[in-house]
Amino acid sequence: MKPAPFEYARAGSIKEASELLARDDITARILAGGQSLGPMLNLRLAQPDLLVDITGIPDLVAAERDGDSLYLGACVSHANVEDGRIPDVTNGALAEVARGIAYRAVRNRGTIGGSLAHCDPAADWPCVLPALGARAVVQGANDKREVAVEELMQAPFEPGLEPGEILAGLRIPAMSPDARWGYYKYCRKTGEFAEAIAAVAWDPARGFARIVIGALDTLPIVLGDNERLFGDTPERKPFDTYRPEEADRMLTDAGVRDPLKRQVHMVALRRALEFASA
Amino acid sequence: MKKISLTVNGQSVTADIPARTQLADFLRDNQLLTGTHIGCEHGICGACTVMIDGAPARSCITYAVACEGAEVTTVEGLDDDPIAEELRRAFQEQHGLQCGYCTPGMMVTARDIVRRFPDADETRIRHELSGNLCRCTGYVGIVRAIRQVIEARRRNGASDGFTARSELGPVGSGHAAANAAEAVAKPAEAVKPVATKARKSAASGDKAASGPRPLNEMQRSLRISGPREQVWEQFEDIAALARCMPGAHVSEIDEAGRMIGVMRVKFGPISAAFDGEADNERVEDAYRGKLFGTGRDQRTGTRVTAEVDYALHEADGGGATDVAISVRYGLSGALAQFARGGLVEDFADRLAQQFAGNLERMLSGEQPATGDGDAGNAGNDVNAVSLVLGVLGARLRRFFNRLLGRG
Repeated sequence: MKPAPFEYARAGSIKEASELLARDDITARILAGGQSLGPMLNLRLAQPDLLVDITGIPDLVAAERDGDSLYLGACVSHANVEDGRIPDVTNGALAEVARGIAYRAVRNRGTIGGSLAHCDPAADWPCVLPALGARAVVQGANDKREVAVEELMQAPFEPGLEPGEILAGLRIPAMSPDARWGYYKYCRKTGEFAEAIAAVAWDPARGFARIVIGALDTLPIVLGDNERLFGDTPERKPFDTYRPEEADRMLTDAGVRDPLKRQVHMVALRRALEFASA
Repeated sequence: MKKISLTVNGQSVTADIPARTQLADFLRDNQLLTGTHIGCEHGICGACTVMIDGAPARSCITYAVACEGAEVTTVEGLDDDPIAEELRRAFQEQHGLQCGYCTPGMMVTARDIVRRFPDADETRIRHELSGNLCRCTGYVGIVRAIRQVIEARRRNGASDGFTARSELGPVGSGHAAANAAEAVAKPAEAVKPVATKARKSAASGDKAASGPRPLNEMQRSLRISGPREQVWEQFEDIAALARCMPGAHVSEIDEAGRMIGVMRVKFGPISAAFDGEADNERVEDAYRGKLFGTGRDQRTGTRVTAEVDYALHEADGGGATDVAISVRYGLSGALAQFARGGLVEDFADRLAQQFAGNLERMLSGEQPATGDGDAGNAGNDVNAVSLVLGVLGARLRRFFNRLLGRG
């Protein structure tokens, strides 16, 4: 199908974009790579009056090492990450995840910030970024704030952005050289919406451990402490003391009522853990 | 109309096009380059894959206005490309096409595979090709053709080494100056409120015939603090009930007790305002009843039908009431294409929680909080930002509490 008519504006600065997005007489949406919004526009699920293209804003395509973290502008594409055009601070995790997003033709336009701000629970970055302890840099016309990505996401498709605010970038903490990570995504067909996602990061040198269970019908479950999933030894060999019955109970609590679906999620989690332990 | 300038197959072109023009339509209808095919138009099938700034991209979910100043290469532009030449020969030899519909997209993707993966085996080729669907299912010949080219180039030492583009950001973007000052977006006509009279006639008539069949079903239970008798009384006042529902606005209640009004819903990029009507049929003494509603969203032309059976049970020694709800709903029109039922249920859960919270507040004599500070006059969109904080926040807190041993 063809999209309903819309106006298009290419913003030159965050301030300019912010002012257009803050208008309350029209429905304005941010356009980055458009790889999630484009289908919704073409199917006429979304019918905004105005698209504000933010990909020409120089600040949003930055990528730089900043002390103990990597700053990535929101409009860095999945392919940029896959191709190693950004500094690697995650022992290869970001590039490996990027490689598995949709298809190359989509990755060449889809952006990391767009994917996070779209808050699709079945997408890769909304599961991986919380696992890495990433923070979102949110900018409005006049002020700037930082928030943990799992706090930014408030519901499927609902980032906690006030009118006029833009997800400007991401701050991703650098992993220690001996840190481990694991990621497993289950799809019926390569590149389709995931049916289960598990992301694991373990960095004993920084005292950091995260597990994310995603591709649920609601936001990912972000576990910042592995006590319940891993017995009573969170500091030592956590993956060897994994307690599947706890994971099963958490999934049930999260509303995954179908035992088959729970099993698929648990297998994804186990495989991510195995990858991180290997 | 927007004026755009870009390079197509090495030629500079300029055109005036509506902003909503897909790059694929611009190439086919404006540039008459009909080699680019259009299949699904939502980024799945790959038939429309072209090269933008030297890298493959979907021309159906890329708008031409977003490619200002970019370099676009279609299958027509690959005539003199050496890899494409080898691929064409191999596709012929290996029977890599039947009807030819997917072939232009296959050529672009195949060329990308040959360039990026000079050592690709069959598994790698199939993985990388997974974003291009062949409706004849002729993948065996296509994969063989790509393999043949890769192996021949390896033998001849012809692999030219892939270098990723150095620019950051989406391909096609970043070439042009800002034009935000030109933006003169006005609210679309369709969002203007329609007269109540028109709503009435649209929604009246035989219930079963007036809307899509309610084929989706979900059951939920809500606990509301307050004795059953009091909650039941409250359920009689449908205008008050509507005030508890985020996004609902009642404009009129007719003699038969039927509500006429609008239900506004915002779900990420999707927003709708369903004009319609709802009935509440109560079975007195049994503490149960049924709500029946139909509505239509003017902007998307989507129609909705919902039936809600509710039954009130005493709980917590009479101090609380469990409301068992069974919802059946149906959608037809654009929004019915949203095939993520689980997400819709999650959204409905959040609505139900907000409704229950508002109902409790009303039972205790407070105004329902409808989200945007417009309390009591529920003309607000169901905006999940304000709505979910409570529910989702609670869910996350529960997990963290359990983790930290406080649960």
